[in-house]
Parts: sequence; structure tokens; C-alpha cells
Amino acid sequence: MLKLNDVKLKYGYVEALKGINLEVKEGSITALLGANGAGKSTTLRAISGLNHIYSGEIIFLDQVIQNRSTDYIVKQGIIHCPEGRKLFPDLSVYENLLTGAYVLTDKERVKENLERVYTLFPILNERRKQMAGTLSGGEQQMLAVGRSLMADPKLLMLDEPSLGLAPIIFEQIFDTLIELKKAGTTIFLVEQNANAALHISDYAYILEVGKIPLEGPASELLKNDQVKQKYLGG
Amino acid sequence: MQQLILGLRDGSLFALVALGLVIIHRTTGVLNFAYGHMGMFAAYITFSCYAFFGFPLLLAIFMGLLFAVILGMLTEKFLLRPIRNLSNSSMLIITLGMLMTLEGTALWIWKQDTRQLPNLINGKPLIVNLGETFLVITQQDLLIFILTAIIVFGTFFYLKYTKVGLAVRASSQNEEAAKLMGIPVGGVYGFAWGFGVALSALAAILAAPKTYVHPNMMVDLQIQGLTAAVLGGFDSLPGAIVGGLLLGVIEQFVGEWISAELKLAVALIIIIVLLLIKPSGILGRSSKRRV
Repeated sequence: MLKLNDVKLKYGYVEALKGINLEVKEGSITALLGANGAGKSTTLRAISGLNHIYSGEIIFLDQVIQNRSTDYIVKQGIIHCPEGRKLFPDLSVYENLLTGAYVLTDKERVKENLERVYTLFPILNERRKQMAGTLSGGEQQMLAVGRSLMADPKLLMLDEPSLGLAPIIFEQIFDTLIELKKAGTTIFLVEQNANAALHISDYAYILEVGKIPLEGPASELLKNDQVKQKYLGG
Repeated sequence: MQQLILGLRDGSLFALVALGLVIIHRTTGVLNFAYGHMGMFAAYITFSCYAFFGFPLLLAIFMGLLFAVILGMLTEKFLLRPIRNLSNSSMLIITLGMLMTLEGTALWIWKQDTRQLPNLINGKPLIVNLGETFLVITQQDLLIFILTAIIVFGTFFYLKYTKVGLAVRASSQNEEAAKLMGIPVGGVYGFAWGFGVALSALAAILAAPKTYVHPNMMVDLQIQGLTAAVLGGFDSLPGAIVGGLLLGVIEQFVGEWISAELKLAVALIIIIVLLLIKPSGILGRSSKRRV
């Protein structure tokens, strides 16, 4: 569904991605794991068009999409739920969700998606009139995920959805991801919490300073000694 | 009482100017120094269409407003968007450059002479009996007041209840997140600039019968609009309106009790004092920085 061929990206003179090759298969949960500063977020930013790449190819559903505008890429069906939530603090929960449906023109579909998000996260329905900035951290993360679902993405990319969450809410978000996968959404998950991510994903890539030294089915990586030592705490 | 009414009359024009400044600033983060001059230039366009080419007045005004919209959008797209990743002060410098360019060009095309635009409506002025004095309010003044009210409420509802409005508000709160939702942020900025500059043009055209059309016609209004915006908190639309009306009234009282010459100075003193004691303005929120 999504393919990156030898993608290279620079921030000024610093090469952040030194040739990334990866593939996200339709209907899967694919994880991109790695330490802070490895280039995980940068990879997502390159895919969603926030940062331009200088070499390589990004292909989504047989279309070349690298260096297109972000709104074009969103219209193709890729939604990137950014790190740190990036909500609109002075819009209500309901309005935040509506921004997620910006690319939809069919009002009925917007309504359906809104209902779906409220069913997934009932707390958002309760707080729909509240300003997003006043929500708790967990609720904000739910809103960020909910907002990303409003446009019916074909591919949902999540950047560190577990960051700073209490274990209970963390589990709730990850359960939601499994449900979404069952409903047919393809998910590309970026995580520092390798253990949790590997348990829900089908395939995973390990990113180290702009390169992918290791990849494989998630179940195999969980048993891999190198991964255990570096990312799963021995 | 007399001062109050006259103050509201002047203030509604200040509010109109402030509204456009605030819309541009709050959406794109740029303080547009050339704002008043852009309106001035549009007033000249209206004047030319009306006096040289013999267009009907309303069509001439439409041309002026259209020019303002296009000028605003082009400025945003070709001068400001390319340097968005630089600091806000570089964008400020660009608008300063625009200010001087517009003034020079206007002088070059239309020379120093003051030109005149007629009132939009002429009719029997409204005479208010206040007991000891009579107050004369022209129909043009009344029109300014009513137009401002319509525009203010229209803008407010448009931003609150339409999809474009939602896109504008979202983009102003978090540019990157707005992009990730598929909102064409560049288009939103162009919209804010076009709309904002059109408000300056409207203010200039409405003020023209009194100020005359002149390269410096909007200098005072720019300062007063800025003061009104600062008074109201700079990023708050209702604040701009309250600030504008309040400044109008304050100026009237200063003119009456102290000296008419001090009116404009008061505007500047208000900015300084307010920035010292309550930088967030009357209706603004404390230090909400754009990221």
C-alpha cells in the first residue's frame, strides 16, 4: 500500500534519513521503532509532505506522492496523527473532530464518522462542547486519534500515541488500534515503547540514526536477542 | 452624551480598521504595517474609476475593494509565503517595504494633490436634540456605523459557523496540525489577507469624504486601528470592536476637555500604558504565543 524506496532527507546540512526502505501492507499494523532522534517522526513527516525529501521515492497506492502538498496527500487517504497531539486548544472537542473531516464533502459521511468516533471514545461525546485545551492528557490523545479517524483514512499513521499516558488509557488506545485494523484500516505506528508496539503489530522496522538495520515480522523481532537487549530492556 | 455619540461614530471606523488588522495578525501571525496604505491605494483606484473613467460610484467602490482583495492575496502569496519559515520580524520588514512602495507609487501616479470622493449617501442629517445642544449626525456617519455592525456580526458568524471559518480558526491555532487535516493553509492565509485588506479599503473609502484621498490619508487611522487592536487584546475580534469604540470615545473626551491636538497622541500613550500594565488587552488572553 505504502512504499518508501531509498528515501533521503536533510535538515539543513544534517542528513536525518539516510536511505529508508520500507513497506506498509494493506490491512496490517506496521511498526517503526527506535530511540529518540532516530528519525521516526521525520519519516512520517516525509510521507505526509510536511518535510521534503531530496532523493528517493514514496509510493502510495501506485501513485508517486513524495514532495506533494500535505492537503493533496491527505486527500489520497493518508492521515498523520502527529506527536504531542497538536490539537486546536481553543476549538471545542466537536470542532476539533470536524477539522479532521475537512477533506470530506459528503455531510452524511461526516455524521457517520462522528458517531463512530463517539462510539469508540464515549468520553469525547460527553465533552464535545468543552475546549480541547481543557481536556486531560488521556482525553486529548483520544481526541487526537478520533480527529484522525474523521476522514476515513486508508492509512493511519500515528506518532507516539502512548507518550505520557497512564497505562489504562494507553491500553485503551492500543485496543482501539486493534479494532481499527479489524475494521480494515491500515496502520503505521511509530513508537518508543517497542514492547507494546510489537505485541499488536504484524511487521516492524527498527530505525537507528536514519537507517533501518533490522526488520521482520513482529513475533520474530520479539525473540531477537539484539532487539531484546536494545529495545525490550534485556 | 454628545462626546459619547461622536466617539462611537469615530470609533466604529477605528473598529473596522482594527478588525482587518486583527484578522490578518491572528490568522497569519503578521502585523501588517502597510495595512492602511493598502486601503489608501484602493481608495485611489475607486477615485480613478469614478472620476477619470466615469464609473458609477458603487461600481467604482466595488473595483477598489476587488483591487484590495487581490493586492492582499498577492502580497501574501508572493512576498510573505516564501519567507514564512523565517522570523516574524522579517515579515514585518516586508510590510514596511510595502508601505513605502505604495506611498511612492501613489505619489507618482496621482501626484500630491488631494482628491475627493463623494459621500455614499447624502441626505438630511439626523439631528438629535440633547436638551442644551443639538447633535448633527450625517447619513454617511450613520452608514459607517451600520456597515461596521453588519460586517462585525457577519465576520463573527462566518468564522464561527462555516467550514472556511473553521479552517481559518484551526490554521491560526496550529498551522501544522491544520495541514495534517488536509486544510490548504496557504489558501486560508490568502483568504485572511484578501479579506483583511478589503476592510482597510472599505474604511478608506468610507473615510475619504472627510480625509480626502491622499497618500497619507490612512496614517492616522492605521495608528488608531492599531491602538484599538492593542486595547482589545490584538487577537480577539470582539476585542478589536470594543477597543475601537472605546478609543473613539476616549479621543472625544480628550478633544473636549484637554485639546483636540492631543487626540492622536492619546492613542499612542494608550498603547504604551497598556503594554506596561496589561499587555494582553481588555479581552485578550495572557501571552498566548503562536508556535
